[in-house]
Amino acid sequence: MDGFLLTLWLVRILFLLLLYAFLFAVVRVLLRDLRAASRSRGELGRLVVLASPRGEPPAGASFALDVIATLGRDVNNSVVVDDPFVSGEHAVLTFRGRSWYVEDLGSTNGTFVNGAQVETVAAIGFGDELQLGEVRLRLDRPRT
Amino acid sequence: MTSSGPGRRPIGTTILRTGVALACAFAVLAGGAGWWQVVEAQRLATSPDNPVVIAAARRTLRGPIVDRDGRWLARSSRDANGEALREYRDPVVSHVVGYASRQFGTAGLERTYNPELLGLAGADPMGGLLDKFDPSPREPLGLRLTLDLRLQRAAVQALGRDRGAVVMLDPATGEILALASTPTYDASAIADPATAAATFERLRDDDAKPLLPRATLGRYVPGSVFKIVTLMAGLGGDAISPATTFPEQPDAEQDGLVVDGFPIRDGHHPQTGDRALDLVEATEVSCNLWFALAGLATGGERLVGEAEELGFGAAIPFDLPTAASRVNDGSGDAPGGFSGEVELASAAFGQGGTFVTPLQMALVAATVANDGVLMKPHLVSEVTGEGTGAGPVGPETWRRVLAADDAAVIQAAMREAVEGDLGRLFTSGAKGTGVPTAGKSGTAELGGSGEPHSWFIGYAGGQTPRIAIAVLVEQGGRGGERAAPLAGDLMARYFELYGRP
Amino acid sequence: MSVAAPALPIPAIRIRPRMRSTELLLLALVSVALVAGASSLGATQRLLAARTAGETLASLDLSPPDPRGLAVYLTALFMVHLAFVLAGRRTDQVLLPTLAMLGGIGLLLMQRLPQDLVVQRWGDVALGLGQLQLGWLLIALLVIAALALAVRSDAWLRLYKYTWAAAGIALLLLTFVFGSEVNGARLTLSIGPLSGQPSELLKVILVVFLAGYLSENRTLLAEESTRIGPLRLPPIPYLAPMVAMWAIALGIVVVQRDLGAALLFFAVFLVLLYVATGRPAYVAGGLLLFVAGSWVLYNLFAHVQLRVDNWLDPWADPLGAGFQAIQALYAFGRGGLLGVGLGAGLPTIGGRLPVPAVHTDYPLAALGEELGLIGLLAILGLYLVLVIRGLRIAAAAQDDFRAILAAGLSLVVGVQAFIIAAGNLKLIPLTGITLPLISYGGSSLLANALVVGLLLALSDRGAEPPPPPRAPRRGLGRLRRGAA
Repeated sequence: MDGFLLTLWLVRILFLLLLYAFLFAVVRVLLRDLRAASRSRGELGRLVVLASPRGEPPAGASFALDVIATLGRDVNNSVVVDDPFVSGEHAVLTFRGRSWYVEDLGSTNGTFVNGAQVETVAAIGFGDELQLGEVRLRLDRPRT
Repeated sequence: MTSSGPGRRPIGTTILRTGVALACAFAVLAGGAGWWQVVEAQRLATSPDNPVVIAAARRTLRGPIVDRDGRWLARSSRDANGEALREYRDPVVSHVVGYASRQFGTAGLERTYNPELLGLAGADPMGGLLDKFDPSPREPLGLRLTLDLRLQRAAVQALGRDRGAVVMLDPATGEILALASTPTYDASAIADPATAAATFERLRDDDAKPLLPRATLGRYVPGSVFKIVTLMAGLGGDAISPATTFPEQPDAEQDGLVVDGFPIRDGHHPQTGDRALDLVEATEVSCNLWFALAGLATGGERLVGEAEELGFGAAIPFDLPTAASRVNDGSGDAPGGFSGEVELASAAFGQGGTFVTPLQMALVAATVANDGVLMKPHLVSEVTGEGTGAGPVGPETWRRVLAADDAAVIQAAMREAVEGDLGRLFTSGAKGTGVPTAGKSGTAELGGSGEPHSWFIGYAGGQTPRIAIAVLVEQGGRGGERAAPLAGDLMARYFELYGRP
Repeated sequence: MSVAAPALPIPAIRIRPRMRSTELLLLALVSVALVAGASSLGATQRLLAARTAGETLASLDLSPPDPRGLAVYLTALFMVHLAFVLAGRRTDQVLLPTLAMLGGIGLLLMQRLPQDLVVQRWGDVALGLGQLQLGWLLIALLVIAALALAVRSDAWLRLYKYTWAAAGIALLLLTFVFGSEVNGARLTLSIGPLSGQPSELLKVILVVFLAGYLSENRTLLAEESTRIGPLRLPPIPYLAPMVAMWAIALGIVVVQRDLGAALLFFAVFLVLLYVATGRPAYVAGGLLLFVAGSWVLYNLFAHVQLRVDNWLDPWADPLGAGFQAIQALYAFGRGGLLGVGLGAGLPTIGGRLPVPAVHTDYPLAALGEELGLIGLLAILGLYLVLVIRGLRIAAAAQDDFRAILAAGLSLVVGVQAFIIAAGNLKLIPLTGITLPLISYGGSSLLANALVVGLLLALSDRGAEPPPPPRAPRRGLGRLRRGAA
């Protein structure tokens, strides 16, 4: 009978141990993901191309953003937007403090945040839509 | 249309904070679980109302309880159905041993030591893993008491039909030899399922309150026996000395002692003439006015403080539940919680708002007898049997209450109060032993027309007294007439049984 | 120039199976653990039955009490996993195994309790507690799989938030009017043979609505435009929903007598408000409202008073109102550190369970007794994993709506688990809500399946990122390529 009890006791403890084995495995996954996230800390936001009739940049492309990113037709820009309605130096995105701002650099056709024209500088949040000429872009939170 | 204000904070930060807050909340849950499952686990697992304990109680033969010489007091057998049946030897110990009933739970030592008697004690959270399947994991343990059945019987017989209590203990060890309360009851009838309901109902409705353990839970006006506490406080605080006299005392016996404009009157003591009494004489004749003046000189704070040293103000840690004795109800603004000097003066001779248990007063006598050292009172000398929790229970010093030389002063006074020429007149019969005896009688006036409570506290046994006693007889008349001779008889019985020093 | 932007064309879905090795491994662990638990349960039950009958067992039989039921559950889990693999979406791999473990523990508990606690009959077929719980678990898994696979756009949630809110209020009103009373609380709504607790569904609807409302008005709510003395408040109109929410919570307590749901809704609402605005002042204000509301309710309503008094001192009425609470504490105490083992706890009193609501309100007490503190901590850990994972999905979400939605969904599970666990442990008054994913009950399981399914859908990291754009010809080093 004692042998029974001992076996039973071991199975009982095995169940508890397996519960913890599972928790341990899950926590390892969580930590791994956190580490992966911290590795990609460098980026502060992402610019996703929603629509681009000319294909430069291609729709669906996404750019990791540093503290400052210039947009325009000119090849010297961080994000080159090759569209006839976009000025050479069209707009600049800057990350100041905790938020993103977009500044219109005196473009011919203007810069729009969610359809509203930007007068010199406007704040822009994650999920907001940015339009330069016919190109529509979305500011997304950094990928983790 | 979404616009982005500058006050906007990244949502990731708030989410992170929320996660941390929730993790903290879960940590609190873990703490709560730990509290119930580790810290409180033992108490919960062995609580008399726990279904597991109740189930075990039906099956398990509770351990035996015996007196100091091994005479059985409670034992178990199986009835025809194989269920456990508890039997008690003598109603005289019912208030100590208590009962274990299926319907009415447990009382007395049966309740205090329920886990041990059922064999459930010592279930530590880590150990006993295999045992959890066993209906009766450990052998039930038994109890050997410090009680002497013969003395206990003598005490109950001496109280007779009166309601009252007797506490006898060894002042040097705190061992309780007798703890009697009357009227008592038949615990076997409560333990027997067949008679339990009717018995319990009858006892509960009885005006004499036989279920009340008067020695530990009864609270009474102490009368003059409280004067010993006043002496301790005064001597300990150096407010009085053996030579202290109060010049105003003789006059006050004629005209009353005016305190705060309120006269306290007390009878004249014809035996002492008109002189101012000293400490020993005042104790001998139990001069209320001397003690009132001593109390006033000592101060309320000091008096209550000394009483608390002796165990007043809180339940005395003991094997049975105890009521807290008190000097006053603590509602007053004067030092010590008195309402004013009048109450302090009255309390000093035991007639204020003071209420005491017989056990507490026995400890007062024992402290004096033990040269100022208060021992923890205990009823169980050994948890018998094998297993965790079993083992002897030794004497334990509670604390020193009084300096030895102050104790000697009170010893002398109490000795004179019994054996002195004057004292003998008031405590006739306390000395019947042929051994040196000391004590103090008390007559607790209740107001109204009823007879006063009759009190005596004292000890006997020469250089190192071996027995201290407190006797209370409800409405038994003057202390010297009822309680003192009763105490004398019981102490004589003690020396008969245990030999004279 | 600013032409209304046409909707983003949904790219053609190319289904490519993706291995989900983490999920597979974790599910394997879950299976092994549940089989071990079921073995210990079966063996213990047989041993105790033999003891009661006065027999001795010839050999130790370690088979589970209901091997077929367990096999069905585990098979269903792996089928859901297979469906995820075939669908090839990059959804979270931890949520399903964690849910499976909690659900499995609940299943073991329901198989362990007296089966006649809940019986459902269809003609000749009578299903007991364990079988019913298994049935609900299978339906819940189906719901999760459907949501995780089918939901690709959140528009139907985001755009129709007021419709959802209206539906929720309608549901609430229906319960007010047609609900039937169970245990003094008007919680149950019956439609034909089906009955359920709408408040479970309501909590999901609430979160969806709040996510829509808060993500839209986040900025305004965070502004401080109204000043009353030293108080700086957001524009008054935006405070209205907060007060309305508070009133609804009070209404639930008064009319439905459902303290648990009211507490849960209000707590989740407050936390989401904080998540969205980052202003602790809201939480402080909400707590003040909570305290005021509680005080009024306590003084006006007997059922609230009873709950609170019973919490403060259950021993005042140990055989009446305090009975369950005390018995639950005894159960925790009996469990100790390692527990008495599955199947060995919960002694009956006179043939009845000491804790009648053990399968709905007090599963944690039963688990605490049988698995001990160690097991209890593991279960709390599982909930915490679920919540942290959900919040992680929220933090990684692409926009505010998804972030608040994911945060809300995970919080609703976490806060509910906390409220009922704290009630069981006598840290707060007991409120009759279920322990998510473990307690018996169809509404509860389905609502929580909804939560986990939505979380899974939200966790989708999308298809493989498209090929990176051409490298900047004269890059200034500020721009990095988009490909991860």
